[in-house]
Amino acid sequence: MRQQLRSRRAPTFPHGYRYRLDDQDEVNQNYLADEEEEAEEEARVMRVPNLEEEEKEEEQKEEEEGQGQPTGNTWWQKLQLMNEYLWDPEQRMSLARTGQSWSLILVIYFFFYASLAAVITVCMYTLFLTISAYMPTFTERVKPAGVMIRPFAHSLNFNFNVSEPDTWQHYVISLNGFLQGYNDSLQEEMNVDCPPGQYFIQDGNEDEDKKACQFKRSFLKNCSGLEDPTFGYSTGQPCILLKMNRIVGFRPELGDPVKVSCKVQRGDENDIRSIHYYPESASFDLRYYPYYGKLTHVNYTSPLVAMHFTDVVKNQAVPVQCQLKGKGIINDVINDHFVGRVIFTLNIET
Amino acid sequence: MVGGFSILLWVGAILCWIAYGIEYSNDPSSSLDNVYLGAVLALVVVLTGIFAYYQEAKSTNIMASFSKMIPQQALVIRDAEKKTIPSEQLVVGDIVEIKGGDQIPADIRLLSSQGCKVDNSSLTGESEPQSRSCDFTHDNPLETKNIGFYSTTCLEGTATGMVINTGDRTVIGQIASLASGVGNEKTPIAIEIEHFVHIVAGVAVSLGIIFFIIAVSMKYPVLYSIIFLIGIIVANVPEGLLATVTVTLSLTAKRMAKKNCLVKNLEAVETLGSTSIICSDKTGTLTQNRMTVAHLWFDNQIFMADTSEDHSNQIFDQSSGTWASLSKILTLCNRAEFKPGQESLPIMKKTVVGDASETALLKFSEVILGNVMEIRKRNRKVAEIPFNSTNKFQLSIHETDDPNDRRFLMVMKGAPERILEKCSTIMINGQEQPLDESTAKAFHTAYMELGGLGERVLGFCHLYLPADEFPETYSFDIDTMNFPTSSLCFVGLLSMIDPPRSTVPDAVTKCRSAGIKVIMVTGDHPITAKAIARSVGIISANSETVEDIAKRLNIAVEQVNKWDAKAAVVTGMELKDMSPEQLDELLANHSEIVFARTSPQQKLIIVEGCQRLGAVVAVTGDGVNDSPALKKADIGIAMGIAGSDAAKNAADMVLLDDNFASIVTGVEEGRLIFDNLKKTIAYTLTKNIAELCPFLIYIIVGLPLPIGTITILFIDLGTDIIPSVALAYEKAESDIMNRKPRHKKKDRLVNKPLALYSYLHIGLMQSLGAFVVYFTVYTQAGFRPSTLIGLRLEWEKDDVNDLEDSYGQEWTRYQRQYLEWTGYTAFFVAIMVQQIADLIIRKTRRNSIFQQGLFRNKVIWVGIASQIIIALILSYGLGSITALNFTMLRAQYWFVAVPYAILIWVYDEMRKLFIRLYPGGWWDKNMYY
Repeated sequence: MRQQLRSRRAPTFPHGYRYRLDDQDEVNQNYLADEEEEAEEEARVMRVPNLEEEEKEEEQKEEEEGQGQPTGNTWWQKLQLMNEYLWDPEQRMSLARTGQSWSLILVIYFFFYASLAAVITVCMYTLFLTISAYMPTFTERVKPAGVMIRPFAHSLNFNFNVSEPDTWQHYVISLNGFLQGYNDSLQEEMNVDCPPGQYFIQDGNEDEDKKACQFKRSFLKNCSGLEDPTFGYSTGQPCILLKMNRIVGFRPELGDPVKVSCKVQRGDENDIRSIHYYPESASFDLRYYPYYGKLTHVNYTSPLVAMHFTDVVKNQAVPVQCQLKGKGIINDVINDHFVGRVIFTLNIET
Repeated sequence: MVGGFSILLWVGAILCWIAYGIEYSNDPSSSLDNVYLGAVLALVVVLTGIFAYYQEAKSTNIMASFSKMIPQQALVIRDAEKKTIPSEQLVVGDIVEIKGGDQIPADIRLLSSQGCKVDNSSLTGESEPQSRSCDFTHDNPLETKNIGFYSTTCLEGTATGMVINTGDRTVIGQIASLASGVGNEKTPIAIEIEHFVHIVAGVAVSLGIIFFIIAVSMKYPVLYSIIFLIGIIVANVPEGLLATVTVTLSLTAKRMAKKNCLVKNLEAVETLGSTSIICSDKTGTLTQNRMTVAHLWFDNQIFMADTSEDHSNQIFDQSSGTWASLSKILTLCNRAEFKPGQESLPIMKKTVVGDASETALLKFSEVILGNVMEIRKRNRKVAEIPFNSTNKFQLSIHETDDPNDRRFLMVMKGAPERILEKCSTIMINGQEQPLDESTAKAFHTAYMELGGLGERVLGFCHLYLPADEFPETYSFDIDTMNFPTSSLCFVGLLSMIDPPRSTVPDAVTKCRSAGIKVIMVTGDHPITAKAIARSVGIISANSETVEDIAKRLNIAVEQVNKWDAKAAVVTGMELKDMSPEQLDELLANHSEIVFARTSPQQKLIIVEGCQRLGAVVAVTGDGVNDSPALKKADIGIAMGIAGSDAAKNAADMVLLDDNFASIVTGVEEGRLIFDNLKKTIAYTLTKNIAELCPFLIYIIVGLPLPIGTITILFIDLGTDIIPSVALAYEKAESDIMNRKPRHKKKDRLVNKPLALYSYLHIGLMQSLGAFVVYFTVYTQAGFRPSTLIGLRLEWEKDDVNDLEDSYGQEWTRYQRQYLEWTGYTAFFVAIMVQQIADLIIRKTRRNSIFQQGLFRNKVIWVGIASQIIIALILSYGLGSITALNFTMLRAQYWFVAVPYAILIWVYDEMRKLFIRLYPGGWWDKNMYY
């Protein structure tokens, strides 16, 4: 091999350079030695399959003899080392630690984590001490109020065919379900009938249970599902309920209840020729405010406004925007399409 | 660009794009967030790559500017015309002319020569000028006189030659290409970083896969699982760390450059710190590379001369009449002269025309006597025989400056034994006395003693020629020697040595206490080498070589037990006969070794021997022939002044002042940087847990995501960058030169205690602190932790716009989203605040912060300020840019994590206290990283 390497290098030398000073040659020898090693390594790699075969044979023999101590196979050695690292029977160590050492370290970690847990508990406890159960500390993130509509089936596109009940049946079911809590009997039983047009302010301690004002299903008239159990869907005049998100302590500016008004968002305004609102004022009466939080204001039912789209262009998608109107109401946040407004499309086919 | 973290980040980026692909195929209107994230990740990889490249290039540039390559010109005869062409245009067969001072432009065979002498030192290590002629004298091209080698210098004379080899095919070119052929081994720090990358990548990949499986088995869609995987990878990979390491290394490189160590390869900065053996040259590195008068012998006494760099105080007795005579001989019998025009320079700095010993004598007498030239002028020279190797003496005849004395004074210096032969009297205390047995014996003892010190000894004698025989008009003829050259009067001896640099003994002691073995490798005579080794402490005062023991016990060298001797002086001849095993044995068993009379090639063998012992070897060298050894060494150190370009190219570091002491300061810096890198990595790793935990909790417990991927990138590449660089400015905790060099295999950069302590102790505390802030933000906004658990699914539904919180309030999607970003910001701020504490505790590993000084490292405070300012800008300045996911945070949330930061500090002080209280104990073993 040496000879080869030399001859490979040789052509680069002119004749005179064949003779070199001894020392000079030593340098070369060293480099050659390096290369030799490399070459040998390569050769070893080349030989590996044979070696392995041989070793396997040897292993088998040895195993037959009952002493599984093969040498030379690096993979096997590594595995063995690994095994020994995991469990060393001689020194009774696992992962380079004895049982005693392991128990010591586990105990230490246990105490460390236990005290950390104690610290965190104390911290969370003090945090809760400063938190009121009835009134959130900050409400600026949840303001201004959002708006949501019912029926809601994971989509704001109302596509249905009047003549095919299957396409609108789920809206009806959804509305019925939603309005269960507004049944007149239930409302009369649980809630009080408070005077309209003014806030229903209940002074007294924070932790006292608060009474809720009645919002009866019958307030919704044609959209209550009482007279027309299909909420107008069977006639192509769908009812859509709109509610304002609850915010603890929120009060519309005095004497000016929040109104709802809907119109075509884009396109021909005459696509919607008439909308009936129930209650007829199209507003959320002041008596439903303020909200005292779900802990004390248990039976509070959000006030609703029903929009009855009695005459909408059929067989085409009509984008509708319903906005809250009133003093201090914000309905034009760019990033949030549900603050003070809600946009949906009606596509009623006949 | 590729390798380590970069691959992980590429994987992350590609996963991002895949995730977007899946999203897009489901819903073409899906948001581009994942595309952006992927782009940002790719950008991070590319930027850090460019940054690392830029840093490398910058340090390479330093090197490039260092060796100014002047295009070499050659005078060539072509077409019967003399032309000057750049030497790389030479071809074989060209006839070139060279003259004194030229570099030989190619390997040439001389056709004619007029007194041509060349300096082959860079090639063969022989420093004597060698004459060149057109005679073929030897079979070996390196020995024969009719070949001149490329890049060697023609010192004097002129010659004409034919080009026989050019470029890489020249002898020098071959050595250079051999050197470049030596595989560059990975530097220790590269190995360490790789090890660290493996650990972190292992953690990242295994965690990623485990949680991918968990997520899938928890019935998360694959898309989500992929996004989790990205989050886990991004949280685990310290994106900014590699750039930080590069900056840290280059800062140290700059600091070292100030201390005259120019580092070519950034990683070599640390290699020097882990060096366990330094193979040092003698001449110029350990010594001043300047012959200097060390001892004088006259009046039967040995006097010591000052050999320090400036010769300032010569304290020997100058009152004796003998000294007056001796000093006269010194001044007169000397051909060396100062070059004109350097009156303002101190004597020792002046350039002298003349050989080394004469220069030494000239400077010596100039310092003591004053203006030598003036004295020479007063004592006009009438005849002179210059030194030659057959006579072994130098002689000159002068008129005296005493106007009453008409005699000529003949002064002579030379090899002491030859001088003594010519003498019949000796001067003692200014009086001539016959040279008898006892004085001769005294002379021999002194001569042996001075010779034994490895010094070059010269003898001096004189004779006043009787005026009657040699009248003023007498014409001296140096060829016939018509004057007496025997029965002279012996005056004294003077010995010279190339003295060690005054800083070297200290430096060697430092090396020794730092556990670094210093091996001297020199071409000098063993006695000289040993003497210098002793005087600088490479062989310490109380250790003996085999020969010393033999002498002390008065037995033959062979009878001495080799291993009794701590020190060994090995010559090149002995080395040649040694097998590698014998060499290993020698290197392992002797702590103090001097290799003398070695050729530069044998350096390579020595280096390899040291490396076989597992040592990290630093080698100094200057010649072209040293370059393979420099390459082979873990860190090759070339000499900036004496070094050849080939050596500088092969080396990792260049010593600008050729001073051994600079190596030692380099070692100190290297060790410091290793310690500080450890701190930097510990600092950087800690927050990984605080970045990772949110994802794990998010997946398992279903909280709204506490921290976003983009936000994590802002920590890794924003707030944390300057502080982690600032740790590079930290001073050493204790005397780092008092401990052993680190063991390559055992003392890892990132070891188990470091990882465990960073991940499971401080990291966990940080995550807890950050979660407290997170819960505070959510609870105060209306979502109590009990509500949050399992809320993730509803929380992230885009069409749920009336999600109820703990108070019955209803939230739109965007309101929730905004709250989530506020949570990110709060989490980010919490990590930042706790990273300040982390930064402070990482200043030390063992000492208390108060021992180290809280304010000693100002850069740390710059780092802390940068953290806070960046966080403020992100929250309040960029809080309105939704893509960055930052919001304006209420002021009080900035302080929620402060108690945790203090807790971290206290906990770490406790850890350090226990380590200091019980060194070597269980706590120390498990908690000291």
